[in-house]
Amino acid sequence: MAGVKLESIFKRYGAVEVVHGIDLNVDEKEFVVLVGPSGCGKSTTLRMIAGLEEISDGQVTIDNRVVNRVAPKDRDVAMVFQNYALYPHLNVADNIAFGLRIRKESKEKIQKSIDEVGAILGLTEYLERRPADLSGGQRQRVAMGRAIVRDPKVFLFDEPLSNLDAKLRTQMRAEIKRLHKRLGATSIYVTHDQVEAMTLADRIVVMNDGNIEQVGTPMELFLNPANTFVASFLGAPPMNMVKAVLAASDNAPVAEFAGQRIPLPSLDALSGKAGKEVIVGIRPEYMRPEVENPTVNIELELVETLGSEALLHATLAGEPFVIKAETQGNAAHLNAVKGFNIAPEKIRIFDAATGRAFAGQDKPAA
Amino acid sequence: MSDESAHTPASTRPDLVKVTRGQRIVDHLKREWQIYVMLLPTIVWFLVFLYKPMYGLQIAFKDYSIFRGVAGSPWVGWEHFQTLFTNDQFVRAVWNTIKISALNLLFGFPAPIILALMFNEILHASFKKTAQTIVYLPHFISSVIIAGIVITAFSPTAGIVNTIIGWFGLDPIYFLTKPEWFRPIFVGTGIWQEAGFGSIVFLAAIAGVSPTLYESAVVDGANRWQMMWKITIPSIMPTILIMLIIRIGNIMEVSFELVILLYQPATYSTADVVNTWVYRQGLQSGQYDLAAAAGLFNAVVAFVLVMTANTLSRRYSRTSLW
Repeated sequence: MAGVKLESIFKRYGAVEVVHGIDLNVDEKEFVVLVGPSGCGKSTTLRMIAGLEEISDGQVTIDNRVVNRVAPKDRDVAMVFQNYALYPHLNVADNIAFGLRIRKESKEKIQKSIDEVGAILGLTEYLERRPADLSGGQRQRVAMGRAIVRDPKVFLFDEPLSNLDAKLRTQMRAEIKRLHKRLGATSIYVTHDQVEAMTLADRIVVMNDGNIEQVGTPMELFLNPANTFVASFLGAPPMNMVKAVLAASDNAPVAEFAGQRIPLPSLDALSGKAGKEVIVGIRPEYMRPEVENPTVNIELELVETLGSEALLHATLAGEPFVIKAETQGNAAHLNAVKGFNIAPEKIRIFDAATGRAFAGQDKPAA
Repeated sequence: MSDESAHTPASTRPDLVKVTRGQRIVDHLKREWQIYVMLLPTIVWFLVFLYKPMYGLQIAFKDYSIFRGVAGSPWVGWEHFQTLFTNDQFVRAVWNTIKISALNLLFGFPAPIILALMFNEILHASFKKTAQTIVYLPHFISSVIIAGIVITAFSPTAGIVNTIIGWFGLDPIYFLTKPEWFRPIFVGTGIWQEAGFGSIVFLAAIAGVSPTLYESAVVDGANRWQMMWKITIPSIMPTILIMLIIRIGNIMEVSFELVILLYQPATYSTADVVNTWVYRQGLQSGQYDLAAAAGLFNAVVAFVLVMTANTLSRRYSRTSLW
């Protein structure tokens, strides 16, 4: 297996630049997920690594070899596509063996590989079936089998679970994770689904508008987002954002908004910044709903019961605000919630002008 | 709704509204009448030009006289068919039809497929468009003009073909009067006229192949030749088979106008096909009943062929017309 290195990668279509000079190191055996909204350049980046798109500027290195001008077949990568890209006229066995036959591997090796991959992915009894006779999950497994059988240096996944229903997606997600643990292959995975990113990745790369916003482990990104984009993109429901003004109370920083105050963590970066406009970021999970004497008052609009948890939809300072609360078997009492309390160290503070987090919040605050 | 009522058959519930089949049809027509209005001209065309003439088919089994009419002419059973199959010229026409159709199938059917595959490989957009326009053009030229061009091209005195032959010091060949040259010229002309236009169907089928199949193959290491053989051709195989079935259904329908325009008594031995024989017997000699018998024979053979091809295709490739 091998690492992948992107250095100052640009992609332009005529005058339109869609990837603006990104840098990324993917270590050997690492599972890296590129996540971001549609059109952020994540698939384009993956396709540049695969060699399916030309690189306008910059350098891609796979296993210490610059591959900018190397044909896709010679990069020793395997790719799993969103729509599976299975050959409809070939059965499962022939689909899996396609790459090996193209490379003129021996019949014995091909058969052995088909048997092995079929067993790993639970496809043994479907080897004679055509893709049209398979379910979505089985087709996705065949697509992965076609990649595995090649034993490549790097696996590339382009939104491979997007066409599956929610239940199957959860199952396949776990299967991909198990497979990665078993094969220990360097993998780069593209998705727009932050849950997929959080559950699968060793490291997540959050992309937006052709730039990398932040790179880190799922927990690093969840707990210490570098900016408001990452904060609002990761987490379900996403982090609440409230515009506020910095103030000081008994030498401790507080944020003021709509006539209310909330204590903030003591950060060097906040000292002497009284009057500065900030955005206060609060994860829905970190608040304690209160019926009496809350630190912050909210206007509760709706309680959505999810079973063991409930989502309290409210407004705060005129903005939508969500609190995640435990129901403990009964959600009725949550209708009386007037506000919430929160430990200051659980709050993230962002510069309202730049959207970037203030320094000093980089330790996981779990 | 309780579980009990959920499992009670609606037919045993007199309190529920019942909609009869007739009411459903009326509701459907009220809802979809625009579609049926659009369908009407086609149905009328089929009735007038394809179903009504079937009434006249009975003259194949009658001693038909235009004065007594179809209904008044006496029945003669299979007499015309016996006459046909003992007529050397008709038997020769049947064989000629089969041979020309076989050559057409062998060379004419793959030509548009090959052309479409070649167009698909052209990367230069404007060159591709120009080439496509040039090969589509002959389809829009009248058969009379096409025949004129062919006759001129193969003329022993001023034709381009004989001019080129002359450059090598060879004597001119009277192509269109020699029976052995008729079939190659006829089949070649058909390919020149129709292969380009016929390639549109296959180009459309190729356009429908998912680009990710090619991308996946590229990553797997396939070159363009391998992609053509292993992805493009298998992907358009259902279209190829459908077109083949249609072609087989028309196997007895050799391009009548072009044969009439290109053949002459000197080439009847290889050029006279069932349709031209029917034309000569039916219209020129006034033997409408015999011509009708020959036409019916043609139709029955075509029907059997298309049914067989469709069944075989459905059995072995899961592709069929119906």
